[in-house]
Order: sequence, then structure tokens, then C-alpha cells
Amino acid sequence: MDEQTSLLKTQLYAACEDALTRDPDRVFTQNELMGLDVVQDAKMLLQLIIPLQKEKLFAPVQFEGGTAWRLRSEAEAAKYKLLTSHDQVLVYDIIDTAGSEGAWQQDIKRRVNLQDNALRKALKELETKRLIAQFTTVENISKKMWIKANIKPSARTTGGPWYTDQYLDEAFIMVLQGVVMSLIKDRGSYLSHGDRQSGSMSPVLPKKGVINGATSEAALKSKKRSADAMSKEDVVSVPPPKKVWKTVRLPLPAGYVDYPTTEAITAGIKESGVAKGQPLKQEHVQELIDVLVWDNCVEEVKMGDRIGYRAVRITKQNPSLSVRPDSEDFWEPRGNGLTTVPCGRCPVFELCEEGGPVWAGGCEYFDQWLA
Amino acid sequence: MLGTKSAAELCVLLIDELYGQLPSRVFAALLARGRSNVGKLVQQSSLNPKQVRHGLVVLIQQNLIFYHTDPDAPHSLYEANPSAAYNLVRVGKILDMVENQYGRTAKLLVHDVILLGQIEIAELVRHYKHEHCAQKKDSDGEVEAGHNGINGDDHTNPNHINGNGTASSATEDEYAEPEDEEVYDILAQLIASGFIESVTASTFQSPEDLRTGVEQEVMKDFPNGLRGAKQTNEFDTMVMDELKSIHGERTALKRKLQDRLDYEPNIKRRKLTNCGWANGFVATGGGSLLDEEFDTMIRLNHDKCIVELRNQKLAEHVEDIIGDTTAQVYGALLRALSKKISRCRVSGILSNEEADFLEPRVSTDDVFEHLSPSVDVSFGIGTASEDTIDIRYAEKIRRDPPQLQDPSFQDGLQEGDVVVASDDEYDETGELTNGAAVNGSRRGSKPGQNGTKVKGEDGGPLSSQRLRQMRQHLLILAESKQQFVRHCGAGQWTVDFGPLLQRVRFIELDTMIEESFGRQGLRLTRILREKGKIDDKTLPTMALMRKPDVHVKMAEMEMAGFLDVQEVPRDNNRAANRTMFFWFFDEERTLRRILDSTYKSMVRCLERLEVERRRRKNVLSVTERRDVQGKEKDMLRSDVYSEWLEFLEVEKKLLGQIGRMDDLVAILRDY
Repeated sequence: MDEQTSLLKTQLYAACEDALTRDPDRVFTQNELMGLDVVQDAKMLLQLIIPLQKEKLFAPVQFEGGTAWRLRSEAEAAKYKLLTSHDQVLVYDIIDTAGSEGAWQQDIKRRVNLQDNALRKALKELETKRLIAQFTTVENISKKMWIKANIKPSARTTGGPWYTDQYLDEAFIMVLQGVVMSLIKDRGSYLSHGDRQSGSMSPVLPKKGVINGATSEAALKSKKRSADAMSKEDVVSVPPPKKVWKTVRLPLPAGYVDYPTTEAITAGIKESGVAKGQPLKQEHVQELIDVLVWDNCVEEVKMGDRIGYRAVRITKQNPSLSVRPDSEDFWEPRGNGLTTVPCGRCPVFELCEEGGPVWAGGCEYFDQWLA
Repeated sequence: MLGTKSAAELCVLLIDELYGQLPSRVFAALLARGRSNVGKLVQQSSLNPKQVRHGLVVLIQQNLIFYHTDPDAPHSLYEANPSAAYNLVRVGKILDMVENQYGRTAKLLVHDVILLGQIEIAELVRHYKHEHCAQKKDSDGEVEAGHNGINGDDHTNPNHINGNGTASSATEDEYAEPEDEEVYDILAQLIASGFIESVTASTFQSPEDLRTGVEQEVMKDFPNGLRGAKQTNEFDTMVMDELKSIHGERTALKRKLQDRLDYEPNIKRRKLTNCGWANGFVATGGGSLLDEEFDTMIRLNHDKCIVELRNQKLAEHVEDIIGDTTAQVYGALLRALSKKISRCRVSGILSNEEADFLEPRVSTDDVFEHLSPSVDVSFGIGTASEDTIDIRYAEKIRRDPPQLQDPSFQDGLQEGDVVVASDDEYDETGELTNGAAVNGSRRGSKPGQNGTKVKGEDGGPLSSQRLRQMRQHLLILAESKQQFVRHCGAGQWTVDFGPLLQRVRFIELDTMIEESFGRQGLRLTRILREKGKIDDKTLPTMALMRKPDVHVKMAEMEMAGFLDVQEVPRDNNRAANRTMFFWFFDEERTLRRILDSTYKSMVRCLERLEVERRRRKNVLSVTERRDVQGKEKDMLRSDVYSEWLEFLEVEKKLLGQIGRMDDLVAILRDY
């Protein structure tokens, strides 16, 4: 190799490095390398690339159908010099290109086509040289995965903030959901104290008000019916709630624009300091909110082009902010005809038939229910 | 519309429950065989012809079957009307509802109409007086007992399940006997509002027969058959016109009364409750109209009743989702609106005629009018500072109804909302024009600032303040995710029942899934509904659940028939590990299945009731004795008496539950 080539080679590498400062993940295709104004001639370029590749400063990758090259830093390239056998180079190359995703041992084996023994030996040697390390991915705990020793596994393989030691941290998620829920409840509803409800009446009303739980019940029971008791509105009023909370949360007026958005909730979580060790990004908070939406605890509200969140069935929810969505008294459960009849939850419902082995007359669930 | 085995069983059991075994056996035979004549029914039911005829008479009297007599054929054909049979389960609810809206006399009238099936007006009034005025207590007790049963609404409060049993006995004493005139007046109201309809010969023909008959009649005008599109169109319009005129015949009396009576039962009712029965409506005198109609046959119109029951159910949902006060306002709105609605679902035959009824609207004042003065509209909404309220969103007007989407895209409803070009339009004035000029200048502070705190602050007339507060409830309803109302123009409100009911159906579905499979089950199915088909591997990440947990849940739900899975092999071997599994949720099928399960559960409740009756046969045979009835406590030995009470408890529970399940059926099928 003459001096000029070696000079050009260094220039090319420098030019690439320069381009990388703007976009660190970039790969270079042949045209892009030509465009760096170092060499104009494809043949010349080839002459440069071959030695660069040999020195492991360029790593070839398949890119959009053609070959492209990824730059490797000199420190990284130097590690290849530590490798003593050809096998090691091949294996290390695969693990190196896999990057933070890591490479599965079976994949490596298939690609280098080595004997089990040879592969294990190569991996062992690489590990003792502290070039690679074994780790597990959350996607498949039983897979043997290898990664370069000096980088951390990607968020996909560790599962992001929701995983602790490859296991989904359900307790953590639950606590965070509670925090999100309380933020949404707190900022998207109006806390009304019980005394306001039963207390003053609007002066418009000449009659005794029959609105809330206790009063209306008394009114129904009293022998003498007032004129209101005749009114149609009684149809609408449903039985008073079984559990009466002292205070109740009320919906806010239409057109309210301060329902918490994802950003606000993210900030709120940060403030609350629940997730100190594990800073949560907005997209993670969004995941939490989505789950709450799917759980039917929270709903989206459009405020112009922003999206806020508010709690559903706000008046039926426990007004306390500390109650967690999975707890019993989170809200008054809903029911309908089919959920309350024994048949609705009968495991042998399909078999049930008049005259069959299971039938309504001899049904033990009915026995319990009617007892 | 029915068509499943459980539904048929249910109809038969209901008839058995109310009208005894003979009609129910004939009805069962009719359901099993389809249209048949008496001879076929005899073969099928192993009854003798005389018995079959007896049964048929009962069924016709109760409007439970159609019949068709072809002048050329020797025998009449009979056909079951399963929806009428199913409606028997709603009798109690309808009575309750009528009592709430029109008072006790109206309830008793409707009760008699139901009991008698169909009756001439004069005869009805005679019967009414005979039954309820003279020897009220005795005969009434027995008759009602039959109906009481089905009467459960979904109040679990025991007093309520048997609406007119224990609770009403107290009021019965105070209840003044109405004058003749009043009975006619109330009857006129009921007919005008559509609860009771007149019976014509065509009512007994099934809709198909009616149509075929009309078509044959019209066909005579086309002796050469139909050629080309033009003639077909002509033919169709002629058929349609003919059907319309038949329908017009049926509703003639109603319209006549409506015109003359000005149809204001609500105002009148208010007057009634305030002034007592005696002098309530001297002036209105709608009853006198009925003088010419003494021989008109009348019966209960279930279509209209269902509309009213739907109003109740929707208001209950609002109570659940938003709050009590808002539900009352919504109830008022629905009452105002439903005057213009005669049935829940527009039937195919009459679609043209009813097209103008498709989008009835009410004005804010109208709603206000219907709102009971006892509702304090200042409750139920929180307060927020002015600068957090944007009137442009609050008062947004949507002129066009959202498209009712294919159920398989259902969740699109939530995102899409089809907010069309009119997006920026909003009711700027907040309807202050009909408020008062006094506070017109303070427009900025109106919306939102309406908790009790603001009370009296701006010194306007109280009623205009109340109106404004009520509007806030309407705006909340319009803004809600379920879109209970649509603000369709300045001061105009409407309800898009189709899409709304679809959402209510999904609420029920969600309730059921949550109840059976927990929150996580609900989460998974809702993900599937929103995203469509999802493969095994992505689901746990989205749901933030552990993979094995997801698999267990999914398998559980698949076993129960809520989920389906599709296999897509990646290669020809179809090995399990080389196959992708996509989960999906077939909403329509699931809803159909739930409907059928509900029928089946209702059947089981009725069967159980029968078993319980048999179990306590000796007690019941005593209480059925005439001399014991009404004085059970004194006549029975204490242990027998307590056993009887126990049985009543069981009966109440079962029948109440049937009523609740009927609510579900109504949502899934009728509303």
C-alpha cells in the first residue's frame, strides 16, 4: 500500500467520523462515501475500503438491498487485535454487530456454522477477555444471549422501566397506576363535601326537595305521599347507593380545559417522587394511562387539539385520592341482570337443561342464592 | 326476531305463568310448527280440537298470535307472535311507569286493558268501575297477584319489587274514587300519548301477511305483471301508500284525540297533583271525545311503552356515569323528546312515514318545562374558575348526527366522533336571549360558574338562573363520552338513539366481562376491540401484564366464548411454534350470545320458580283458598305462615331477577 492510499484512507475515515458527529447512527453506502469528497473513483474507493475493513474500522452491513458500511471507533477496532483465533473473530463480529439487542447463542451458531464445542470455547475465551457478557432478555428468559461487555442491553430486551431483573414489576405498576389515577381524579373533578348536599336548598323550590339518598328514602317510606312522590322523577331516581361516602366528587362543567394531559401527569409523577430510581418518560406514562383507559377507569377528553383525561363515573368513585384502582372500594361496582343471577357465572351453564344432569330445580347455585 | 331455543322456551313459560297450561301448550305447538291450522295443532299438541280452539281464543284475546283467513282456503291459519309473548314479562314495569306518569287511575285502567287483552272502551270503563270502585279489595287482590309477580324493576329494595303489593296498600285507602268523566279523560290521554292503541282487523295479521295482502291487491292494477324499473317503483310506492293508510287507520283515534286534547298530559298532571283529583280538569274534557268511540276496541301498545322504558334505562345510565341531578335533567329531556317518538326502532315498512320523526328535537325551554320543580339543578356539577372554561368547547354545536358504524368498528366511535366541518361552530350566546336582559352584560361568567356559590349573585330572575343551571347539565351530557345528547343548534337538543344505544350495549358488555373475568379480562378485550386482531406476543406488553397471566386469561375467555383466535402458519408445516396466533373479539357474535344466555337464564329462573312452587305445594294449596286469601296471617298456623312468607321471598327474588334480565334483553334487542 503506497503512501497516498494510506493517506486517503485516513482522510476517508476522518471524513466519515466527521459526518457521524451529526448523526451517530449513520451507515454509509458507496455513493455516500463518494460524496464525502475524498475519492471520486469507485475503484480507488474499493482499494481504500478493503484495508479499512481488514482493520475492522469499517464493518459491512446489509442496507436497503446493497452493502453499506458502519464506522467502528478505533478503540473498538483495537479489541479485534486481542482476538487470537479465527473463530473468536467470527463470533465477536456477530455479537458486535448485534449491538445493544444482543445475539442469541443459537443464532450465532447457525451463522458461523461451528461445532458446539468450538463455539463454546470461543465464547468462553471472549468472556474471559471481558469482551462479551451473557444476559437474559425479558422476551424469552430461557434464551442464552450474549452482548458486548461494555454496553447495556436495550430497553426492548430489558423491558423498559416495567421490568426488574427480567420480571414484570407488577407491584410497581400498580402503585404508579394509583398515582396516575389520583392525579386524574384530583385535577379533573370537584370535591364536594356532604354537608353541601343535604343542606341548603335553592330558594326556587317551594317544595321539599327529594334529591339525595337519605331524604328521598325517607320520603318514600313516609305514609303520606307528598306531591313530589307522585311525580315522574321518582322513576329516574335509583336506589340509594349501598355505601355512602361522606364526600363525593362531582363532574366539572362542560368546556373545562384543565383536565390533566399526559405531560401534566408525567410531571405530577416526577413531583410525587414515587419513581425515583426509574425516571419515567412521557411514553411510559402514556402506557400507564392507556391501560387505565382500557380498564375503563379513565376516559379521554378532547380539549381543542390537546387530550386530557378524566375519571369515569366520577360520582360513583371513592373520593379518596389514595385508593388504588385494584382495591375493593375503588368504586361502586356495576352490575346488570346477567351478572347477578347465578346462571351468569355458572360454570356448567352450557350443560344446564330441563331433565338433564344439571337443571334449575336441582341447582346448588340457586340453592345458595335463594337461601 | 327470536328464533333461539331458549327464547321460544321463555315465551312458552311466560304464557304458562300468566294464562295457564292450555294456551301455553298451543303456543308451544305453534312455535314448533310455524303457521298451522287447527288440525295440524291437534296433531302436534295431542290435545283435542275443542281444547285447541279454547287455547287459541285465549291467545287471540291476549294478542299473542296472528291469524290469517284466506277466503279461498277452508281453514284459518294461526301464527305465533313471539315478541308479544315476550312482552308479557314487562307488564309490571309498564304498570309502574304508567302510574308514575299518569297516576293511579291510569295504572288501573292499563292494568285492566292488559288483563283483558283487548276490549271496547265502554266495556272497559264498566269493568273498571265494577272492579275497582265497588268491591275494590277482594277481586283486585287476586287479579293483581298474577301480575305482581313479573312486576320487578331493578330496585333491590323489597318494597319495590312487588310494586303494587305491599307498598300500594297504604295509598289505596286514601285513593279517592274518580268520577266517570275523569276515567274517560285519563283514557283519552293514554290513547293520545300512544300507550293504548285501537284495534282493527289488520292488527291480527302478521306484518308479512299484511304486506302480501296489500301487494296482491295492488297487483290487480298491473294485469300484465311488472315490467322494468319504472313499474316496479310505481308498484312499491303504491304498496307503501296502502300500508300507510292502514297504519293511519290504526292511529286515527290517537291523532284525533291528540289534536283536540292539545296533548299536554304533563301540565295537566301537574295541575292534578297540586289541586287533587276532584277539580283537576273540568276544562280539558278530552273524555267527551270518547263518547263517539264507545265501541272502539283498544289494547296496550307495547312499542310506545318500550320507548318510555328506554327513557328510564338511559336516565339510570346517566345517573351511573355522571350523577343524580344530571340524570333528572336528562329524564326531563327524554320525556319531552319521546312525545315525538312512537317506537324505538323504525320498522322497515313505515320507514318513509316516520322519516320526519327520525330526528326529533327539543328546545331548552321545552326541557325546562318538563323538569320537575323539586329538582335542584344547582347540585351535581362542580365549580371551576372562569379561565379554565372554554365556552367554545362547552357550547359546541354538532349539526349532523354521527354515523352509526358497523359494530365491528365500534371503538372508532370513540375516537372518530365524526366531528365534521361544523367543528368550530358554537352557541355564542349561551342562550341568554331567553334568559333575561338583566344579566345579559355578564355573559363571560355564565358557564361553569354555576355551583351554589354563584347563587343569587347576578340578581337575575330565579327561573332564568335555574334555566341556566339546567343548561349546564345538558352541556355536560353533550360533552360526555357517551354523547347522551347532541347540541344540534342554538337552543336545540336531540338524542342520537342508534349510536347511543350501541354504546350502552357495550357498557353492559363491559360490565359483564369485568364481572366474570376481572379488570384484566376487561383490559384485554378492550385492547382487542380497539386494535383489532393482535398477536400473542404484543398483547402482554400493551396490557402491562405478565405473559403467563395473559395466556391464562385469554384461554379462560376463549373457553367462555368471548374471544376467538385465528391461526396463521408461517410455513407449510403448521407446527405450533412456527404459527402466529391472533386474538380477536367478535362483538356482534358476543352480543348475540349474551342475549341468548339471558333468555336461557330467564328460563331457568322461571323453571326454578315452578320447582319452588311444587316443593311448597301443601302451603300454597292452602293460601290459594278463597277464604284464606287476604287474611293469611290469621288463618294459617304460624309455621305454615312463615313458610309461606319464605316462599314469597323466593318468588320475589326470582321474578325481580327476571325483570332485571329483561332490562338487559331490552337494551340488547329492543331499544
